[in-house]
Amino acid sequence: MTPDTAPAHKPVPVPDPTSEAYWAAAAEHRLALARCGRCGRFTHPPDVVCPHCLSTDPGFTFEPVDGRGTVRSWTVLRDSFLPGFADDIPFVLVDVELDVQVDLRLIGRLVDGPDAPLRLGDRVVTVFDARDDGPPVPAFALDPTAEGER
Amino acid sequence: MSDRFAARSQVAIVGYAHSPVRRHHDVPLGALALDTALAAIADAGLTKDDIDGFTTGSLLPTSGGHASVDGVSVVTANWLAEHLGLNPRFCAGFQGFGQIPGSVTMAVNALATGAADYVVLHRALHNPPRGRYHANPMTHAAGPRQWVAPQGYFGPLSMIALPYNEYLQRFGASRDAMAAVLVEARANGARIPWSYWYEKPITTQEYLDARVIAEPIGVLDCDIPVDGVAAFVLTRSDRARDLPHQPVYVAGYAMGSPKRTRLPTHWPLDDIMEAGFEIRRRLEDATGLTPDVVDVPQLYDGFSPFVYFWLESLGLCPVGEAHRFVQEGIDAAAGGLPILSGGGALGNGRMHGVPQMLECYLQLSQRAGDRQLTSATVGLACHSSPHFGGAVMYTAEPL
Repeated sequence: MTPDTAPAHKPVPVPDPTSEAYWAAAAEHRLALARCGRCGRFTHPPDVVCPHCLSTDPGFTFEPVDGRGTVRSWTVLRDSFLPGFADDIPFVLVDVELDVQVDLRLIGRLVDGPDAPLRLGDRVVTVFDARDDGPPVPAFALDPTAEGER
Repeated sequence: MSDRFAARSQVAIVGYAHSPVRRHHDVPLGALALDTALAAIADAGLTKDDIDGFTTGSLLPTSGGHASVDGVSVVTANWLAEHLGLNPRFCAGFQGFGQIPGSVTMAVNALATGAADYVVLHRALHNPPRGRYHANPMTHAAGPRQWVAPQGYFGPLSMIALPYNEYLQRFGASRDAMAAVLVEARANGARIPWSYWYEKPITTQEYLDARVIAEPIGVLDCDIPVDGVAAFVLTRSDRARDLPHQPVYVAGYAMGSPKRTRLPTHWPLDDIMEAGFEIRRRLEDATGLTPDVVDVPQLYDGFSPFVYFWLESLGLCPVGEAHRFVQEGIDAAAGGLPILSGGGALGNGRMHGVPQMLECYLQLSQRAGDRQLTSATVGLACHSSPHFGGAVMYTAEPL
């Protein structure tokens, strides 16, 4: 990179009709997920059909959900294949099952960093990563008040 | 119980060819594919005018945003047939991730139904000459990528790191245990003249010292991207007996699929294992054979953790035990279960499921040379993750 080149920024999400409510809520630091208008269950990401009731007309609406959940796995990135992450390495991504519904999963950065002790079953809460170029991105923090299910 | 596969033992592999595997060939991929296909046809004792069927899976398996150009970075079945100057009765590509078992299903079905008499099945893999294989310069994340790329979750290394770490944590395993898999794959690959890793075995210490990229996945847990082509010729068993080499019969196949909608490249361990258990059941229903009678089990290893997942889901060792089993149990030269006797993708280069299929063919036709196993009667070739791939069983004698 030459000195007069602006630093690469992280990929900026491009809201579309299936996601604009998700990113609008994130801008207000709220987690809102797609709920099927037919069976009432959440799905993430929203698909063409509801994966639970298979409705082809699911009429998804984005509703606020509790961002607490449980760590099902994680990885520590020591390299990145995308622009904008070079200064973040190493960073942790966690695979989280949200409390709101069985097997409702989100993947996000763990803001506690790679030195935080981490085990399967650890409890996390949703937080938001501020970005200069786009909406805040949902992330996670270890919940200091909770005992993991272990 | 389901009925047995109606085409069981009706189709056989009768010849093969494999190009040298290199980081970059100095000839176009299409030319390499044409030469390799012609060599396979000759190996089978046929001429190109005998061939009336073509199949492949032509995916360019990189997340790096490289262009797919037919004849240059991919080679479709139609491209190959056209550039051989043929107008085949049957020509079709497999669109899923388990390209090798997927292509075999298409070849077997075409041959068993009489849609074709002699099928060339090929796989051409390409390593783009510029840019990192999986690096992507995207500045914006649209469509499915918007749900994961903004937080840095992207590409196959993160994808496999999550279920691998889930495995290590769940069963109290260490990533160091995987050294046994790499040492075995590279020891066998080092004996294969066309392999990228020919005469290049590695030690446990070299594995442990290698760079970690997406913990617990390190650079040596990934097969190296290459240029290379393999081709096989298949025909019906009645015709196969007239050809020069001992036929290897297709006993049956089974494919897996994901059960749930997930985030892009989100592969929880249980999704993988459930599909693997199902593949095992489907294979037994199709063939009447259980994995314990397989003496040439070739497990997919494009990323090293797949070896654990296939070992356990196929029932070759108990669930949670693969990390221990590989320490003593898989040294082919010492009489262990020869799950990587063909070197796999880790020992050959990123040839996808080719090394597994080829090793089944070479061993069961008694063409494996100095790697020939004492007992080679039933082969099993896996490809991809169980929930996006599949497995084919082969026998040296018709069932």
